[in-house]
Amino acid sequence: MSSRRARAIVIVISTLTIALLPLVVQDRFLLKIFTFVGLNALVVVGISLLFGYAGQVSLGHAGFVGLGAYTAAFLVARLDLPWLLAMVAAGLVTALGGMVLAVPSLRLKGHYLAMATLGFGELMTLGFKEADFVTGGVNGFSGVPFPSVGALVLDTPQQLYWLVWSVVGVALLLAGNIVASRPGRAMRALHGSELGAQASGVDVVGVKVRAFVLSATFAGLSGALYASIVGFISPSLFTTAASVTFLAMAVIGGSNSLAGPLLSVVLLTLLEYLDALVPGISRTTAEVIQAYQADIYGLAIIAVILFAPSGLAGMWRRTRSTV
Amino acid sequence: MAELLQFVIAGLKSGSIYALVALGFTIVYAATGAINFAQGEFYMLGGMLGVWFVSLGLPVPVAALCAVVSAAAAGALFELAAVRPIAGGDPLRIIIVTIGGSVVLRQLALHLFGPDELTLASFTPGPSIRLFGAAIERQTLWIWALTLVAVVGLVILYRRTAFGKAMRATSLRRDAARLVGIDARAMVTASFALAAGLGALAGLAVTPLTQTAFDVGAGIGVKGFSAAILGGLGNPIAAVGGGLVLGLLESLAAGYLDPIYKDAISLIVLLAVLFLRPQGLLGGSGKEKV
Repeated sequence: MSSRRARAIVIVISTLTIALLPLVVQDRFLLKIFTFVGLNALVVVGISLLFGYAGQVSLGHAGFVGLGAYTAAFLVARLDLPWLLAMVAAGLVTALGGMVLAVPSLRLKGHYLAMATLGFGELMTLGFKEADFVTGGVNGFSGVPFPSVGALVLDTPQQLYWLVWSVVGVALLLAGNIVASRPGRAMRALHGSELGAQASGVDVVGVKVRAFVLSATFAGLSGALYASIVGFISPSLFTTAASVTFLAMAVIGGSNSLAGPLLSVVLLTLLEYLDALVPGISRTTAEVIQAYQADIYGLAIIAVILFAPSGLAGMWRRTRSTV
Repeated sequence: MAELLQFVIAGLKSGSIYALVALGFTIVYAATGAINFAQGEFYMLGGMLGVWFVSLGLPVPVAALCAVVSAAAAGALFELAAVRPIAGGDPLRIIIVTIGGSVVLRQLALHLFGPDELTLASFTPGPSIRLFGAAIERQTLWIWALTLVAVVGLVILYRRTAFGKAMRATSLRRDAARLVGIDARAMVTASFALAAGLGALAGLAVTPLTQTAFDVGAGIGVKGFSAAILGGLGNPIAAVGGGLVLGLLESLAAGYLDPIYKDAISLIVLLAVLFLRPQGLLGGSGKEKV
């Protein structure tokens, strides 16, 4: 079987599984978990473009998630704007934020950029806490209405699940097209060697800015969706720890791949809710796993970098080439 | 006047702490050309280990020494286990590994010492010292004295000892250093240990005033890096200057404007320097050579 055909089959099967899941799974809590998987996937797809393909580290993407969440929440709940308009606005605001943050990346090497994004993320967290007239401060922002278009209100777990995964689907299509075409090759060239890419005529500045803007927008939309699905947001959701988690998911998933990071998001997000998914598991086992969740992330990214630099995607490629 | 003096004292107090953390960033950067994103965690370890050794019944000076030495050992171990295998490769990988390391160290502290805030008694208890209407806590004097000793010690190490000269040679030109018989890889390990020890010293000295917890590392890491980059990464004296300037800016902004600026200042300084003058205020042109 050709690898192209195998790929197509895998894509069709996973798309169908994801699309039809709510027809099989009726449990509200489980559906909510799978919806959260989709929200994380949206962020990580963007980071995979930025990190996995273009080779730029961001330690501040939770800041974009928060920016999108608070923008949407404020516009819908306080200014009574239509939900769809608030989504568009959240996307635009975070795109703009991504563009601003991309500015230092134009002349900074990797670690400076990582620090700049870390500083940005911390500043956003501080802003979410202190600008309490907009954000509600540390007590959070509650009462965000469910997504609605005109008279249609999406408020059942099934509808919300489909909404989120449709957005993820669109994002994946977009990302998949980008990486398979000229801009994707430019990103990979940039990752390999910035000077080399420049010498071969790649518009390094343009590639970095676009990767940043796109990944920021995905993160912002994820935040905006989260706000309207859960109805409550607070600064503790959008910390540097969350940014590190997103980055870890992308690292573990592997560079130069979208499928790898997607698989890693699914596995790592579900790990958090293991007790709800696997009936036989004892309460204490689940608690131990939760207490050591961050350890798992930390050790896993070190192990991946040391022993399997191209992550899950690389392992998959290797097993295929040896067969 | 007394108020201004009080703010200056507070600024120089936290500034000294930032200076020590910034020195750690500078030392590792000089040796490897990479930023150690776990630097703040050694500050955290200094305080937490200090509390732990004191709780074992050790006298404060012995506990302090044990804490700094253990943190330095942890720094060396971290370099040997995680950084050395990928040294000289893609800098992106070093960034990710040190981020992973910071998570692991923080979680380790959480599992070993618990989630609560911990504190340490002042090194020499007693009332504050009055100076022109301002008060200086005795612990602040300790912080200044220890910072001074660390900086002077570092200058002597770098200028007067063969070991320090070997470290400088390695950071100037690694291959040339190896040609004259310097073990360049050992120098990198030594710089991680030194950086971790300085961070731990800072965390230890400040714990009696601010308390400590397993999660204080990330915040101080950002501040220390802001200080280091304010002075221009790679220059130890400038890093100390950057720390003191940052401490003063914070203290004056918090005192005269609004306390919320205390944490915002370092982030604004960080972003402003990175956006406008990434080579630092004192650095050269910073153009990368092909």
